Parts: sequence; C-alpha cells; structure tokens
Amino acid sequence: MFIITPIGRVISFAVKNITRNAWIGLATVLVLVLALLSVNILVGVNALASSAIAILEKKIDVSVYFKPETPNAILDQARSYMASLPQTERVTIMTAEEALSAFIERHKNEPPILDAINELEENPLGATMVIKARKTTDYPYLMEALNNPQFSFAIENKTYDDHSVAIEQVERIANSIRYFGLILTLVFAIFSALIVYNAIRVAIYTQREEIGIMRLVGASNAFVRLPLILDAIFFALLSLIIASALVALIISFGEPHLVSFLDGEDPGLRTYFLNNLLALIITEGMAIVIIVSLSSWAAVGRYLKK
Amino acid sequence: MIDLKNISKIYSSDVHGLRDVNLSIDPGEFVCIVGASGAGKTTLAKLLIAEERPTRGRINIGGWDITHIKKRDIPYLRRQIGVVFQDFKLLKQKTVWENVAFALEVSGETNRRIREIVPHVLKVVGLEQKAHRFPHQISGGEQQRVVIARALVHRPKILLADEPTGNLDTINTADVIQVLKKINDFGSTVVLVTHNREVVNELRSRVITLADGRVISDKKHGKYLIQS
Repeated sequence: MFIITPIGRVISFAVKNITRNAWIGLATVLVLVLALLSVNILVGVNALASSAIAILEKKIDVSVYFKPETPNAILDQARSYMASLPQTERVTIMTAEEALSAFIERHKNEPPILDAINELEENPLGATMVIKARKTTDYPYLMEALNNPQFSFAIENKTYDDHSVAIEQVERIANSIRYFGLILTLVFAIFSALIVYNAIRVAIYTQREEIGIMRLVGASNAFVRLPLILDAIFFALLSLIIASALVALIISFGEPHLVSFLDGEDPGLRTYFLNNLLALIITEGMAIVIIVSLSSWAAVGRYLKK
Repeated sequence: MIDLKNISKIYSSDVHGLRDVNLSIDPGEFVCIVGASGAGKTTLAKLLIAEERPTRGRINIGGWDITHIKKRDIPYLRRQIGVVFQDFKLLKQKTVWENVAFALEVSGETNRRIREIVPHVLKVVGLEQKAHRFPHQISGGEQQRVVIARALVHRPKILLADEPTGNLDTINTADVIQVLKKINDFGSTVVLVTHNREVVNELRSRVITLADGRVISDKKHGKYLIQS
C-alpha cells in the first residue's frame, strides 16, 4: 500500500523544520559548502594544470640554423622532407635576408651591433628553419630526422627548446594535487553524510513530541520521512548556490594573480568553468543531493524502526 | 471486532506483560479493562495499536489479523483505532483546532475535508467555543476532550482510552466519561483502560479484570473488583 501525501503539506512541514532548526541547518550548510569547494578546487587544479601544460607545449620547437652560403635548393629540400614527416605539424623557413632583417629589427637600439653588421660585406646569417612537432614525444624523432645526409652537411647549428622537464614537473604537481584533492573530497563527502545524518537526528530529537503524535494519529512513514529528507535536499541546494558563488568570486579575484605564473598567458580557469558550468552544477548537485538524501533517509529510518 | 487468542507478551524470562489472554469484544460495546498497576492493562492497549507485538497468540481487529502487521501498515491500523492517553499528547504551540486538524493533515486529508471534519468533532466533545484556545488556556478535562476529538477525526470503529482520567479531578473525569459514552452511543466500540473504581462502577458496562497478566474476571455489567 502506498500513500501519496500532498506535496504542499510535506513542503510546509519541511519549511517549519528548517525554521525551527536554523542553527543546525547553518552548520550543515557550512560543511556541505566546504565539501563542494574541495571538489571545485580539484576541478580548478585540473583545468590549471591542463592550461599550463598546453602553454609549455606551445613553446617547444626545434630551430635549425643553416650555413650562410646554403643554396635555396637545399633549404627547399630540407623543408619538404621535414614537412612530409607525419610527426611534423608545421615547418617555417626564414631566409638569410629575413633573418638579417629580423636581427637588425631586434637590435635597432644597439648601434655598436648595427655598425658591426654594416662593416661586414656579406650577410653573416644563414637561413633558419623552425619545426613544430605534433606531440612533444615526437621531437627526438625529428631531431634524428635532421641527420638526413641530403641536407645535414648544410646545418650549422640546431637548438631544441626542451620544456619536457617543466611539463613533467607540472604533471607531477598536478597529479599530487589531484590525489590529495581526491582524498580531501572523499573526507568531506563522508563528513557531509555524517553531519547531515546527525542534523536530521537532532531535528528528529527536537521534534520528537510532534513526530510521536504524528505516528500515533496515523501519519504514514513517508509523511514523517519526506519533510526531513526535503530539509536535507534544501541544505544541499543552498550549499551548491553558496559554493558556486564562492568559486565565481575566487576565480574573479584569483585568476589575474595566476597570469604572472604562466608567463603572461591566460590560465583559462574562467573559460573552463564557464564552458562546463551546466555539467559541473548538475554533477555536483546530483552527487550532493544523493549523499544527503541517503544520509537523511538512514537517519529517519533508524528512528522509524523504533 | 476485537479478538485476542492465547495472547502472551513476555519481556524477559521473569517479566510477563500478559499470559495466555483470550477475549473477544463485539462492535458497539463499551468495555472497561481494569486491574492494579502492573496487571497488564497498558501492555494490552499497546498490543491493540501495534506499538508492541505479542510473543504468542493472535490478535484480530475488525477482521484484520494484526499479529504480524507490517510497519508500513501500522498507520492504517491507527486510523481505525482512535487512541487517548493519560498524558494528553497535545502540541502546546497549536490551538485546539490545529491540534485536531493535525491528525488529518498528517494523514493527507484535503484542507476542505479538514474544514468540514474538525468543527464536527469539536462539537461532539463540546469544545466548538474553545477552538482557538491553546492547550494551556483550557482545563485538563477539556484537554483530554481535545485528544478524544483528535482520535475521532478518522471516524474510528474503536476508541481506545488508556487511563484517560488519570490526571483529572472528579468533575473533569465525569465530563470525559460522558463524552466517551456519547461516542459509544454513536456506535463506536469503546475500550476504557482504567483503575478508577468510581468510573467503572458508575458505568455498569462490561468489565474485564486483569491481574498478573491474566484475565481473572469478565462480567457483562461488572464492578471494580480489585483492591487498589
């Protein structure tokens, strides 16, 4: 047999419970907010680590400096060969003239250097080829490919801006933060469940007389249970709103300070949270509502068994 | 209406609430259950509203075997049996009207039905003029009449009153008993658990006497036998 209790009356009883146990409710909301904040910090660290890694990866490339007298045919051959490799994303060539113009532009406020260049009859600089790989792990292969005897004799020097150590470090830090963040989130989830459980037990205790009479005069278990579960869900949703507002505030004030750590690049936190706002709210909301519902269900269930 | 077959309630090896009790109460009867303290009166009352379960035997109420009643069915049983206790169990922050309406609210009745039923039961117990007073603003007898009104809102077939006059003076006791008689006259079965000798002797209704958990006497128009 199942009784459909009028929703309005259940809500009205739930609202009364909340007003009667406002302080316990406040404490419950506080712990739930901390739990949600820990989850969002975890999400933020993930987003930040991804941004940092993407920024570092963007900076990796191989610069190949050719001898000044290298003919254009060899340069074309080198470019075509490197561009044809599947590991290569992009190859750009800067001719000797372009390299000289760039050098002059870069040192336009340094007359001694410009004078020294002018004294030389020939362009001392050779062409430069910049190669960008598709993946950071492809660079060793590309470096090896530059040993091709068809053009390797013309190469004067090559530099590989290797940021792989920095990338590894960022990944290692991010993994540690993820690991501890996960533990923190689990701890807060358990705390949340226990706090809600006890808050509902206290609510039952303060209303034991009324609940006792309810049961005596024929209230169904569902009618006793539902308002208390609704209270817990209300606390969860209120916590979600407060936590979301706090996350928005933290990002607004905190993100500008992170820019300097990322070499002037956008940390992308605001973009990440905005792009995933709905998914985050739904996931976190559902998780916290399920935790508090089960917890309050158990708390009332224990009372109803008596 | 109420059938108890070989009912025993054993709390522990040396504490027996009831011992092999057999009794049958017909519809519309007014039955007094009397006995000294510890005789098993309250245990019997608790078994009838499924607050406790018998250790042995079978309980049948209105054709419903409640011996092994499921927890989820207890609310439906309690809507069929109005219960009145000695300690009133009224909500202090609610008025007389709200206390009576509370039983209907928690059972999911509509507001329209509540507005119909509450004035009617308040009239039955003679409290329609005090509907908006709080429990502390009315006498003990009136508070007990509020409890009776609350017990009547589901139109129960049985009204179980466990020591309803235990906290009342003589005048208020008479008022409450009058209300119970009136309810019985309307056709409800009334089971009055009491140790009030005067009440039992004046009622001259069926009297079941319990002693040490056993039925020692069951008289159609009985008197109070036990020495208090």
